[in-house]
Amino acid sequence: MERNILGYRCSKCERMHYPNRARCSACGNIDFTTEPLPKNGVLLTYTVLYNLPPDFDVPTLTLGIVQLDGGPRITGQLRIDEPKSGMRVQGHIGVVRKDNYKTHNGMIFEAA
Amino acid sequence: MRDVFVVGVGITSFTRLEYPLIEIGAFASVRAMLDAGLDRIDHLYVANMGGGRVNNQTALGSALIDHLSLCPAGAETIENGPASGASAIKTGYMAVASGMHDVAMVTGVERMSEVNNLEATDFVATLTHPLAENIYGVTLPSLAGMFTRMYMEKYGVTSRHLAMVAIKNHQHALHNPFAHVRQQITMDGILDGPDAMTNNPFVSDPLRFFDCCPVSDGAACLILATGDVAKKLGKPLVRLSGVGQATDTHAVHEREDPTNLLAVRGAAAKAMAMAGVKPSDVSVAELHDAFTILEIVESEEVGFFKKGEGHLALERGLTKIGGQIPINTSGGLKAKGHPVGATGVGQAHELVLQLRGEAGKRQVTNAKIGLSVNFGGFGNNVVSLVFTKEG
Repeated sequence: MERNILGYRCSKCERMHYPNRARCSACGNIDFTTEPLPKNGVLLTYTVLYNLPPDFDVPTLTLGIVQLDGGPRITGQLRIDEPKSGMRVQGHIGVVRKDNYKTHNGMIFEAA
Repeated sequence: MRDVFVVGVGITSFTRLEYPLIEIGAFASVRAMLDAGLDRIDHLYVANMGGGRVNNQTALGSALIDHLSLCPAGAETIENGPASGASAIKTGYMAVASGMHDVAMVTGVERMSEVNNLEATDFVATLTHPLAENIYGVTLPSLAGMFTRMYMEKYGVTSRHLAMVAIKNHQHALHNPFAHVRQQITMDGILDGPDAMTNNPFVSDPLRFFDCCPVSDGAACLILATGDVAKKLGKPLVRLSGVGQATDTHAVHEREDPTNLLAVRGAAAKAMAMAGVKPSDVSVAELHDAFTILEIVESEEVGFFKKGEGHLALERGLTKIGGQIPINTSGGLKAKGHPVGATGVGQAHELVLQLRGEAGKRQVTNAKIGLSVNFGGFGNNVVSLVFTKEG
């Protein structure tokens, strides 16, 4: 089964949120429906991080903010050698962090 | 509401300090008591972010009030991320203005060197959104890196502008005996010369080593009191005339235009409105330059310069001592240092010295109004203060 990250759509004004929140940021409503976030979009900005948190066993980590097609924005990891703001990217769900307690899954983007 | 005055200030060096957390806080507190000429207070507010996690010590208010032999005065700890310092000052302000207390001590303290730099950065990153940011390895430098790239692409800010902030603030810190990094740096050394890439490697592209503040230990203290107390003590009168705070989305990607720092704009506007001043009235400012880009953008958001023109003002030298609006005369977080919970109190300490005319070789001529911006999270909780010289 395809894995997804869920977005939270206000059941009153239909504003889409990611991450979830207790009240809609537009109308204050407290009821939401969930739906899978789109996985493709446009890279807005990125950084190559050289000083990583201690539990990352890689030399660098590329992080970016993506405007998802027809959806909200999301922060994710990039597996792209030469990222460029404005480029199209496609996402999938994979392991983004492992610490002593847990394996975390999240959005990983590659060049589209 | 009663007027609130700063009657005493104290600070430690912002550096690596081989003393326990509470003793570091006590050094600054005792200096402030000596400066004020007070041997009692009504209440202590301790600003700190990492005690529980980094130093394995909680309830710092209780520990410090007793270490200072000031029991049974009340005490507590205020935690608001890197804006803890100004938040604690705001709390002290409310206590004195409301009539609840006549004398409130605010001590910001942090001891980050308990852990190594990567662990310290990872600790600060616990303020990011746990599911939407933190799990990806997002740290404050990485949020600043992504922000910087957007700003460069939108407004034409270059690595050279970022380096100018670092060079200026290092220059200012040469005249601050309490600064963490007292080292003159040059464009050749950090950007242009053959050794620049070795001296100044990337931390979070496009940000380099000299675009980021050091990880510091340190403490600063302000004693706030009523006008009656202030007049009896006979110190130069500096009034805490404006206090403003504003928040923004926790996850940075949710902001409608992520190149805006709306909480900085809102907090500073509120503080200046309360003080009855406008940006052009401000004589000296301490802006939260944990990353060089932030000084440029905050100088726009508080209203010193138009949006997208802060880097042009920097180029013209308007923000150095002697310029139109000197920014970060202390050296800023960039060179003075950033003991997170103490930083907002350290900024206030510098402004009080400037308004009293006690800032030595970094003194701004005829300083009358000082403004600080203490930036919590990545701009999601910002506290701004205005200080006014009276008389």
